[in-house]
Amino acid sequence: MVSPRRRAAIEFVLDNLVWFILVAVVAIFSFAVPNYFQIGIFANIIEQATFVGTLAIGLSLLIIAGYMDLSIESVMALSAMVIGILFAASGVGLGITLTPEWLVVPVSLAVALAVGAVVGATNAFFVVRLKMNAFIVTLAAYIWGRGLVVALSGGRSAQEMPAALRVFAIERFLNVPLIAWVSIVATLAFAFVLRKTPFGRHLLLIGGNPVAAYRAGIRVDRLTVITFILAGAIAGLAGWLLAIRTSGATANLGVGMLFQTFAAVVIGGVSLKGGVGSLTGVYAGVLLLSSIQTAINLMGMPAHFTQLIQGAMVLAAVLLDTMKLQIRKKLA
Amino acid sequence: MTAREPLLSLDGITRNFGAIEALRGITFEIGKGEVVALLGDNGAGKSTLVKIISGGLEPSGGRLVYEGREVRFGSPAEAKAAGIETVYQDLSLCTNVDVVANFFMGREIVKRFLGIPILQERAMEAATAKAIADAGTRIPSLRTNVEHLSGGQRQAIELNRFVHWGGKLVLLDEPFAALGVEQTRRGLEMIKRIAAQGISVVIITHIMAQAFQVADRMVVIRQGQVAGDVRTEDTTADEVVRMITGEAVKPPRAPIAEARTTGPA
Repeated sequence: MVSPRRRAAIEFVLDNLVWFILVAVVAIFSFAVPNYFQIGIFANIIEQATFVGTLAIGLSLLIIAGYMDLSIESVMALSAMVIGILFAASGVGLGITLTPEWLVVPVSLAVALAVGAVVGATNAFFVVRLKMNAFIVTLAAYIWGRGLVVALSGGRSAQEMPAALRVFAIERFLNVPLIAWVSIVATLAFAFVLRKTPFGRHLLLIGGNPVAAYRAGIRVDRLTVITFILAGAIAGLAGWLLAIRTSGATANLGVGMLFQTFAAVVIGGVSLKGGVGSLTGVYAGVLLLSSIQTAINLMGMPAHFTQLIQGAMVLAAVLLDTMKLQIRKKLA
Repeated sequence: MTAREPLLSLDGITRNFGAIEALRGITFEIGKGEVVALLGDNGAGKSTLVKIISGGLEPSGGRLVYEGREVRFGSPAEAKAAGIETVYQDLSLCTNVDVVANFFMGREIVKRFLGIPILQERAMEAATAKAIADAGTRIPSLRTNVEHLSGGQRQAIELNRFVHWGGKLVLLDEPFAALGVEQTRRGLEMIKRIAAQGISVVIITHIMAQAFQVADRMVVIRQGQVAGDVRTEDTTADEVVRMITGEAVKPPRAPIAEARTTGPA
């Protein structure tokens, strides 16, 4: 038997394993890679983590509830393209201006969130009402979402977002641009919701055993619909941030982010079986991927090394998950 | 000795699954504080009946009269709100979370800050610890995930949960399937204890001895109909078995058992 204090210590390490790995990896890179140990580099890592980090919030919530959402990448691109077309000044942009000028900030954000929420709601309709498989439904949305982006833009791009929006990409707080802070604040807010509110608790319960949750009086269908809509809206938020960052939108915006997001979520300790995971862990997973990418760039290695390493890390993460489970079993 | 009022009356309950008639007009009553054993062979319709009472299924026909009013439960949440607790055959636990989270599943203690409900973990842990200790169950840590606990410990959590939440009517669908001898004995005592508090209990079991130990009345279901409704003291195990298998002629319906003035028989 282990003493309670020792058990608590081991549990703490297991719960926060990704953070320990992140610190170790950053420390190793700082010693081994020239020019890695700089404030600017760390700020850049956090900046890079913005979009995958935001997408990962919604994806994690859905996976924790026992579902799947492959559509997030296309939803992000769709939201970015819609506000690009509405507010960008050139390309396919209509260049709508509002008075006062700052009004574009809440309006464009609301539009981006609404676009995401609508796609999330259609996903929810097919999954909850028509009992279709979430994997297939969201795969379809992944495909038609991207198709809609190309159709809306005619394959062209929108450029020059209004200055009132660009401020979020340019202005920095503690060396980190405001868009990255938006992502961090959103992560913390939803981490709190997941851990401390009944809504978050019920998501875990549904992911663990939906039948038991239903019998206990939890409104499983309603909660599932809300979560799909949330995941869509959060992908919309990622699209808003991405449109600001790139000052517009292109038809192939964000291609490939879906798989990076999946990798980050799994590395962050979310079980694909559902019912397990925390958002702070997921954010650490995002930072871990981002810091490795930065190290590879700094060492001047070809970009495909990033993919090799990310693939290996996903496998390692799943392996680690199994090991953690065994250690926990011994503790009980 | 006074006759008890009925808490729940079932009146001609039917349920079809497509062309199959699982229940073909079930009529019986459950009195306040009465322990009714629901008996019947596999596939007789017992579990379907439990699901209808607990809100998991809607009846195709017939009436449920609960506390003098006709009711219709659209979901387990509604039945629960009316005070009907259910312990299912396959356990209703979420193994991915800890004992406390399971104990308070669906009715977490919260405090509102700025309108946001916040889980009160300490209060929930204290309440769980007390309930588990009162029942004499030993679980090493309430913060352990249920997946690491034994079958008996899991069943104990489930049973303690319904005792803690009480309500007015408890449905137990084969509650002792995974329990050892000692835990079963405790479980049966628990049933008597809660019945003494005026809570009605419906227990489904295959084990005749258990039924005779706790039940005031036995209702036998055969092929979706009531094949027997007898007071425990007026019948024998052999007779009940014959009702289950359909060898006996259906005896007249027994009234709700009278309240016990002495200890359980």
